[in-house]
Amino acid sequence: MTTFIVRRLLQLPIVLLAISLLIFGMMQFLTPEQRAATYAKSEQQAKNLDLIIRQYNLDQGFLVQYSTWLKQVLRGNLGYSKQSHEPVVTTIRKRLPVSAELALYMFFPTLLFGVWMGTMAAIHRDRFVDQAVRVFAIIGWSLPTFVLAIWMLAVFYGYFKLFGIGRADDRIMVEFAKGTLKAYTGMITIDGILNGRWDVTLSALKRLVMPVATYTIVASAQIMRVLRSSMLDVLNSDYVRTARAKGLPERVVNLKHARRNAIIPVVTIAGLMFAFMLEGVFFIEIIFNIPGLGQWAVPAAIQLDFPAVIGIALLTGLVVSIANLAVDILYGIIDPRISFQ
Amino acid sequence: MKKHLLKILALGLVGSMAFAATGPDTYVQMTFGEVDSLDPAQAYDTASGAILENIYETLYTYKGESITEYEPVLATDYSISDDGKTYTFKLRRDVLFHSGNRMTCRDVEYSIERLLVTNPGDSAGWFYAESLIGYDGVNAKDYFGDNPSQADLDKYWEAIDNSVQCVDDYTVQFHLIKKDPSFFVKLMYTASSILDSKYAIENGEWSGTKKDWYDWAGKDLRDGFLHTHDAGTGAYKLVKWDGKDVIAERFIGYWDYANKPQMKTVIIKVVDEEATRIQALKAGDADRITVNNRATLDTQIRGMANAKVIESDKWLGAAASAVFFNQKIAAQDNPMIGSGQLDGNGIPADFFKDVNVRKAFAYSFDQDAIINDLYLGKAVPLTMALPPSFLGYDPNIPIYNLDMDKAEEHFKKAYGGKLWETGFTMTIAYNSGNTTRQTVAEILKANIEALNPKFKINVKAMPWPQFLAAYKNGQLPALVLGWGADYADPDNFIYVFYHSNGYFAKKVGYANPEMDKLIEEARSITDPAKRAELYSKVGYLAYEDVPVLPLPRPTGWMVLAKNVYTKGAPAGMDVYNNPMRSGSFLWKDIIKK
Repeated sequence: MTTFIVRRLLQLPIVLLAISLLIFGMMQFLTPEQRAATYAKSEQQAKNLDLIIRQYNLDQGFLVQYSTWLKQVLRGNLGYSKQSHEPVVTTIRKRLPVSAELALYMFFPTLLFGVWMGTMAAIHRDRFVDQAVRVFAIIGWSLPTFVLAIWMLAVFYGYFKLFGIGRADDRIMVEFAKGTLKAYTGMITIDGILNGRWDVTLSALKRLVMPVATYTIVASAQIMRVLRSSMLDVLNSDYVRTARAKGLPERVVNLKHARRNAIIPVVTIAGLMFAFMLEGVFFIEIIFNIPGLGQWAVPAAIQLDFPAVIGIALLTGLVVSIANLAVDILYGIIDPRISFQ
Repeated sequence: MKKHLLKILALGLVGSMAFAATGPDTYVQMTFGEVDSLDPAQAYDTASGAILENIYETLYTYKGESITEYEPVLATDYSISDDGKTYTFKLRRDVLFHSGNRMTCRDVEYSIERLLVTNPGDSAGWFYAESLIGYDGVNAKDYFGDNPSQADLDKYWEAIDNSVQCVDDYTVQFHLIKKDPSFFVKLMYTASSILDSKYAIENGEWSGTKKDWYDWAGKDLRDGFLHTHDAGTGAYKLVKWDGKDVIAERFIGYWDYANKPQMKTVIIKVVDEEATRIQALKAGDADRITVNNRATLDTQIRGMANAKVIESDKWLGAAASAVFFNQKIAAQDNPMIGSGQLDGNGIPADFFKDVNVRKAFAYSFDQDAIINDLYLGKAVPLTMALPPSFLGYDPNIPIYNLDMDKAEEHFKKAYGGKLWETGFTMTIAYNSGNTTRQTVAEILKANIEALNPKFKINVKAMPWPQFLAAYKNGQLPALVLGWGADYADPDNFIYVFYHSNGYFAKKVGYANPEMDKLIEEARSITDPAKRAELYSKVGYLAYEDVPVLPLPRPTGWMVLAKNVYTKGAPAGMDVYNNPMRSGSFLWKDIIKK
């Protein structure tokens, strides 16, 4: 097991290098002017486009640019993001905790809700509960995230004046800015506790309600469908029939014997879901005004903010690799038949 | 346990229902588009300007809504020498920087010299350099290239050093290389804000001496200390800018604290999604929001219980846009001009050289459609490419509007009748999402194609980077360009749009010696009446020659919470709006009733 993990971790730098080469290769299809567009937002600013191209070496060859970039990276410098007006590393450091906090709060409700609904649907196959769950899943699956998010925003926030947007009350954000509240982790719900201020934690939790609810409705549908179908497979298998024949109560059969095996495909999905949640909740971050990675990554990609794009790609590669590793380890724990040799 | 959980949830809900509006001494504005830099010498965009004009100050500034009346800020008085080349300012003596340091002439000298030394390519430094040192308005590194001689560099530094000088601790002199009627208003732009030299130098900015000046030439100041820190004298000091939102606080040591600003805290939030901004206003979490188009005002804002829309026909902004006819289109590998010949399948590179073609296009252009469809009737046509509030704007010059007969007449005259015979094919591109450019292109296409079945215009949407590259390489045959004022002087527009050496005119190959002569004369004299007369002549000549086709200007609006007002608002208005201020009004003038 340890050997397996070490081997996988040693592969990481190679994966990241491949990602960076791929993106650099793709960037070569763009002209220097097109790459300079990120520095000029209007024709008036494009007045000195040539100077900009020279300043950022945008007209150099592939190898020159790549080696320059690689040297910088080895020194821990990923370049300057025009989109966030600061070094890429600084932006990642600032925004990663925001996205991680959001992901943590979204992940468990989505997973639990999905698993519970999926189980219910499989157990009550073709009965009312099953139909209801499937209808819900179809709605959740086909409803665009931003539509649901805007609807939530208009109803709960705009009309009923509940919950709020952003990360915490302005008053609290000002305290963080001034330093009277310390940002130990960058996750406000946790920093509130560490500062001994429950009002801070509560304020942040309140603002998480709408994003979490939106995501849960949209994303649990997939978990529900996967769990339902794998649960049905398992419920029809020999060993479950044996367990029933032994006279075990239905509840024990379903939840103890069947679900454990049915959950394996869900682990795969959940792992990837968590990885992509870090950046994949763009609409939720935009609409509820949460300054996470997605809110930076998408405009950066549209604007061809090259240092940002490559920084995000590397981060994504890292997170997905780690999530995959975690999934593989979990497999071993859930399913004793899987070996790491 | 369950009971407890329910209790906590209920409390949470009640708690969230009780959240109040923004508070009597806090001002929250929600906008889109981030601040680019908080270094005055680097920032050249409105989002940054809207912050800088409140945490920094200049020697003089605009009075209320006016762009022709000024009031002293960090100076108390000024005089101009008879030859118009020396400006002397007396400085205010009781000014403290946010660091607690006292402002003297040394700081003024440092601030302006730093602007000239650094002058990065994407900053506003160029127009100060043009007045004070020449060198085509570019920094030493860009001017001399890779291997400058020491003698050249010494001369460049000397020019900077001599351009700003301290007579004593509270008197500063600017020496111009030639008469420049717009220099005084240039000093009101945020780039020439006065910064705390001691504090800047202590924190690793340029030393203020010859020793390291060349290291700073053309430097991207976004790496520097002042990019994120404030060294100003303004009524507000920066608490934090995190690359996105800005938080600022009233400065207790402000020289004019007697007129205490009412807002203690100001928060400028970047909220990209308009729907979110609107809901925040509705929920009482915002005092001012940016709303991008007029239709939204009518459908979503008006009638909101706690919000108001303020608008005025006078709010035309300090910007102008026009359709440009490119007279020297880049012909190589350019699909936008088809065959590159006058054969029906393309257009030649100098297609728009013939004034009849330009006039035909101008008569095919439906100004009313733009005003009614794009701006819902709330716009005024421009007679020339100059904001109407600027000196020299002449409202009596005729404008081109849709006249199909005249369009046909000029198309038939063009190229001695050949154009009408063979027809043409060309592409008008716009950057995706720019509805103004799209509408202009579609109107031209519809009307011109209706004249003659052999006329073909393709309309093409392009992503911004591609559009910008095509623009830079001169591949766009006809395009819409806009210019926002850097300083409140007509030269800032007229030269750019109409002079053969002006940024836009040069780009599209427009050159008219008569026009150049008028513009050069107007920029070398200071008598406003005489200048206005010359600019009016420019306007008439432009009508005859049609180098560009000015587009109508939409009237502006502001969306505010019901209880927000400003001091110094004109009679009958809740707030003032100065077109030269990036944020329309200053934070220190905000009142909540």
